[in-house]
Amino acid sequence: MTAVVVTLFALGGPSLARADDLPTFKLEMNNGKLNPVRIEVPAGKRIKIEVHNTGTNAVEFESLQLRKEKVLAPGAQSFVVIAPLQPGEYKFFDDFHQQAQGVIVAR
Amino acid sequence: MGQVMFIVWRESVEALLVVGILHAWLANPDHGAKRGLPYLWAGVALGIAAAVGLGAALVGFTEVLSGDAQDYFQTAMVLVACALIVQMVFWMKRNGRTLKRDMESSLQKNHDQGTWWGVLVLVALAIAREGSETAIFLYGLGFGQGGSVPASMWLAVAIGFVLALLTFWLLQLGGKIFSWRLFFRVTEIMLLFLAAGLLESGLDRLISLELVPTLVDQLWDTSAILDDASPFGSLVATLTGYRAHPSGMNLLVYAVYWLFMWVLLKRASAPAKQVKAA
Repeated sequence: MTAVVVTLFALGGPSLARADDLPTFKLEMNNGKLNPVRIEVPAGKRIKIEVHNTGTNAVEFESLQLRKEKVLAPGAQSFVVIAPLQPGEYKFFDDFHQQAQGVIVAR
Repeated sequence: MGQVMFIVWRESVEALLVVGILHAWLANPDHGAKRGLPYLWAGVALGIAAAVGLGAALVGFTEVLSGDAQDYFQTAMVLVACALIVQMVFWMKRNGRTLKRDMESSLQKNHDQGTWWGVLVLVALAIAREGSETAIFLYGLGFGQGGSVPASMWLAVAIGFVLALLTFWLLQLGGKIFSWRLFFRVTEIMLLFLAAGLLESGLDRLISLELVPTLVDQLWDTSAILDDASPFGSLVATLTGYRAHPSGMNLLVYAVYWLFMWVLLKRASAPAKQVKAA
């Protein structure tokens, strides 16, 4: 427990780690399909999710729980940086194709 | 998509109201003002062009800006959209009652002076106002934020506009089915909720950019009752600002917003009561 708290402080304190040094996870969004649907990430660490829209429609990576929204045109790619997470499950979805539901699991 | 439809519907009804009043006055044979009609339609065209121009500029900005700059720009636009909706609701509350009389007296003046350019400017400004508000609101809802607009969104716009034509036609029947007053009262409450939704989404972006603290990361978890990641839950979230995992700041801002609206609404309805009493 103490270790987790210390880690959180160590990482959360300066909080301006450069986006390119971060543990990175890829997410492909394609006309309402997500690949992968489940992303496992380390808890207590700032992470980066690279989102690629490989479909022919616009997509929106959205998670109210993670406070992230990113609209991507067809063919576009971008990334979101997520602040250190407590262990747990965090849902995200494609706001333009709402059947596409995914989950980020932090452990 | 539902939100896009609602915004287009309500804004189009307002624009149609303005055009409808002006058209009815100009086309009335008693006024002998038919010569003013072409100016009316030119004004409509000019107003639409101005709104489309603004919409294109917003999408263009998004394409040009990269990374953080885009996030800041979009956050700012979401908050501008929220402020504009609130401003619009109170503007209509203040001026809605006298809108028809004001426009007709302005038309009479134009008619007496024999110039119709005033009509053109009046209409162009009215349409450009509703249209540019629509552009900013839609952008705030994610429309065009990826630098392009998907076909399903255009469909929502088209449906919203057709619904507006239908609503306008029903309202013109003269309050037999439902009245302008009821229409404005119901939609203004929905708009205030939508503005609250935009405010919360702007706030989430500010938190995510680490410009605003969360106070408490997660006050409670109501995702078992209504999950804001589900299709219905996310619609509720957009339309009301609901959060299944609200932070302390989310709740604080939400409470302050409604307190503020409550005071404004009380103030806005106070003079009306005085008039009635007199």
